[in-house]
Amino acid sequence: MKTFFGLFIVFVLFASCSNQAEPINYGSDACHFCKMTIVSKTHSAQAVSAKGKQFKYDAIECMVNDLTTENNAEMAILLVANYLDAGNMIPAEKATYLVSENIPSPMGANLSATASNDDAKQLKTENGGELFEWNSLKDRDNNPNSHH
Amino acid sequence: MKFFIGILFLLLPYIIDAKTIEVCGNCEVKTLKSAIELAENGDTILIKEGTYKEQDIHIIDKAIHIKGQGNPVIDGENKGTVISVRANNFTIEGLTITNVGRSYTKDFAAILISESTDFSIRNNTLENVFFGILLEKSSAGLIEGNTISSQAVSEASSGNGIHLWYSNEISIQNNNVRQMRDGIYIEFGDNCRVENNRATNNVRYGLHFMFSNYNEYHNNLFEENGAGVAVMFSKFITMTQNTFRKSWGDASYGLLLKEIYDSELKNNTFDQNTIGITADGASRVTYNQNTFTNNGYAIKVHGACYTNTFKENNFLHNAFDVGYSGRMNDNVFDNNYWSDYSGYDLDKDGIGDVPYRPVKLFSHIVNQTPEAIVLLRSLFIDIVDFSEKVSPIFTPKELIDQNPRMKKIAW
Repeated sequence: MKTFFGLFIVFVLFASCSNQAEPINYGSDACHFCKMTIVSKTHSAQAVSAKGKQFKYDAIECMVNDLTTENNAEMAILLVANYLDAGNMIPAEKATYLVSENIPSPMGANLSATASNDDAKQLKTENGGELFEWNSLKDRDNNPNSHH
Repeated sequence: MKFFIGILFLLLPYIIDAKTIEVCGNCEVKTLKSAIELAENGDTILIKEGTYKEQDIHIIDKAIHIKGQGNPVIDGENKGTVISVRANNFTIEGLTITNVGRSYTKDFAAILISESTDFSIRNNTLENVFFGILLEKSSAGLIEGNTISSQAVSEASSGNGIHLWYSNEISIQNNNVRQMRDGIYIEFGDNCRVENNRATNNVRYGLHFMFSNYNEYHNNLFEENGAGVAVMFSKFITMTQNTFRKSWGDASYGLLLKEIYDSELKNNTFDQNTIGITADGASRVTYNQNTFTNNGYAIKVHGACYTNTFKENNFLHNAFDVGYSGRMNDNVFDNNYWSDYSGYDLDKDGIGDVPYRPVKLFSHIVNQTPEAIVLLRSLFIDIVDFSEKVSPIFTPKELIDQNPRMKKIAW
């Protein structure tokens, strides 16, 4: 019993030290970048810095814009919502992204993420658009205002 | 040639005798779908009392007028969009539409209008909907007198009441939208007018502008929404005579301004909000003759707000009148009435002889350490604020109202 208790304590200590992404509280958490309330389970994104600070975003383009402009924190975890599995967050570096006019995203970049290349290709066949990887996405201009 | 086709089109309703098709349980035509199939340009479809279980109703390239008589109900049975239209010059009036399907990836609506112009959607009741009225790439429409609601209280999987996407010159009047995600959402929409609407208890925003320019909204009531109105990435927005009330909560604002330029706010009332107005990247905005009562913060100014003017506003009994990040100030505060002002007016010209500093040191402290709010209204804080008033160190030195009014400004 005692060992169990000891293990439990150790476990709790470890758990509280590790950098984990807090679940997004949809409908009440606000986007770190654009201040909008996060509501879309198919387009949200989040980051956790190396020091454990949580950043939540209502749209993937907000995370990309934040990381490429304002936010210089070193990130340990980058997650994006899987468009094909609402509410499920997947690692940003491993996701494949689709920019399609037929799938609007919250901040106007028409940007969605999928878990695999095959999923993305399938979605592209259905909706049209262009595929991106995480790194190519960061080099792209994701602000719809500059297109107008 | 095009000209002649145009003339022909204009005369079409006169050339063909417009007829009225009646729809009811005992009529020859029993469903809206079959009535639409029979209808030609200029016809009226009169739907009589009763419940019609229909969805996926399409109106394509037919200029027809659908009218409900005796409050007919179209029940979508939670299967997708109920009525979709792609046509010019049509009317949908007096219907009750219920039970629209829900989805994470498809924006199902009670009424979906795409690539259409010259239409009116009047006096409909939309209940238990996902999206209420959804406009895509449409223009010159009237949305008037509709009541739109859903049960979604705190659910994020709710849709918007009236949603405009790439739609211009739309007039939205006298609608009542409640318990949706955003009451009214204008995304990539220019030259729209939003008047006399009530948006209440919406999960996110009462009214939301995104990437939309040259719009105006007047005389609306926004109550108990996540935030009353959000204006983001937009230019030339005119906002007058609106009431923003009771947006209480962590990320709650009466009015949220983010990246907005060249706009005007006049004669609005902000009452009992956690933050009346929060401004981030808002420049060349004039705030004239507004009244702020009983808010946590009346106005909170974040970074990158330049060349704004705040004139002749009433600041009444707010915990903080102005919150400010940073020490730079490029904004003008002049001729406002501050209920916290404790100066005097010896020459009796109605303007206080001592300038007023609306930013208190304590609000700066609360900005840095939110927990410090427990010290509000303590003697210690009064002393801290007083010393900052005498010699400002942490708050912007130039942020000062040189002409504070002695009496509330009537407008």
